[in-house]
Amino acid sequence: MYAAASILPVRAREDLLENRRARMTHDSERARPNTQARLFATLMGRVGADRDREAFAALFEHFAPRIRSFLINRRVPPALADDLTQDVMLAVWRRAASFDPAKAAVSTWVYTIARNLHIDHFRKQVRAGKMDEQDPYLQPEPAPEAEELVSRSEDVDTVARALAGLPADQKSVLELAFVEGLSHSEISTRLDLPLGTVKSRVRLAMTKLRLSLGDDA
Amino acid sequence: MTRRGNVLDDSWYLDYAAGNLESKAHDVIMASHVELSDEARQRVDTLERVGAALMGQKTASGETLGFDVDDILRRDWEEVVDAVPVPANDTDPDLPLPAPLTDWMGETGTKVKWSFLGPGLSKAVLWRGPRGQRLWLLRAQPGVSIPHHGHNGSELTLVLKGSFWDGETQYKPGDLEEAHAGVAHDIRIDEAGECVCLALTEGKLRFDNPLLRVFQLFTGL
Repeated sequence: MYAAASILPVRAREDLLENRRARMTHDSERARPNTQARLFATLMGRVGADRDREAFAALFEHFAPRIRSFLINRRVPPALADDLTQDVMLAVWRRAASFDPAKAAVSTWVYTIARNLHIDHFRKQVRAGKMDEQDPYLQPEPAPEAEELVSRSEDVDTVARALAGLPADQKSVLELAFVEGLSHSEISTRLDLPLGTVKSRVRLAMTKLRLSLGDDA
Repeated sequence: MTRRGNVLDDSWYLDYAAGNLESKAHDVIMASHVELSDEARQRVDTLERVGAALMGQKTASGETLGFDVDDILRRDWEEVVDAVPVPANDTDPDLPLPAPLTDWMGETGTKVKWSFLGPGLSKAVLWRGPRGQRLWLLRAQPGVSIPHHGHNGSELTLVLKGSFWDGETQYKPGDLEEAHAGVAHDIRIDEAGECVCLALTEGKLRFDNPLLRVFQLFTGL
């Protein structure tokens, strides 16, 4: 989905950042997350175009701990979570040139890489018969409330606000899916709710999110 | 009145975006649908942003990583870049297969081998899984009908080329139909041209017509 790289020239990106900084003095409240978004996109552009190690180090510092805790929440053992986190960051480094800022925020792109590498690994494990999903010792900690999210990164701010605006029952379905890695039928078992109830919560949440995130076509 | 059947229930997109589908075959058919359908892509985009926001939370314990950025750069230096998957070599201009499908076929060395399914119908099984799950291609001539049948399990059908009708609902390229276990339906291929679909079925089809049940013994579906 990121087949063609179309990255703004460095000069154009810096202009964008300049404009952003100029505007920040006027509306500092709402400008922050977007500035962060541009910063991440700029860093990705430098990694893609110039193999800029400092830019990559800044991305690593932000994303690596988050990828690792995403994997830990999905019952990946710590040593393996370290290996997979490195695999994800290595993929970010190697595929940086294919990142297209017009298509997605950096955080979303990194999330999809982490998700896909995790699925690949999980599917191999299932084939090898190594997984015991029922093992109570492998159950994760409950997900923190959306309000508690550290929201210093790009798009994440906007989305965290949209999530915080959802009724608790709809929000918890999304958290169980993304944080704990449960399918909608596993969520119905976990919450002891009919499948139809879970499906309607997903539909309601999606309708609200599409409105508040401006994804409604 | 005609209707357009195009997207699935949102819970499918949630399972896909969160990486919680039950098998690789489900990943492949959903990724193909998302590749071909703008509406599906938009839903998945929204949900992937949610995934990124929920991944954005800091480690609760604040534990430090056991490795640093130099370890990544060292691995980049030491490890050979992954071989690019070899695309399936039997590309057929009349058979437009989406990239997620050809990528998977390239990785697994899966080939398309057509066999007779019925008059005007051929099938190519790509994958067999537990509980009688199969991922397969259906190729149908214009105007052909697949008579009244039910399913022992669920069925997903993604249109890759041409179009078909299920009752009054039309399915076009990129559209994905979900048929539930126990619900019988009639499929009619549109007159306009050949139709190719990617299907993921569980259990055998159940035809009402006893002659077709006998016929099934020979075709294996």
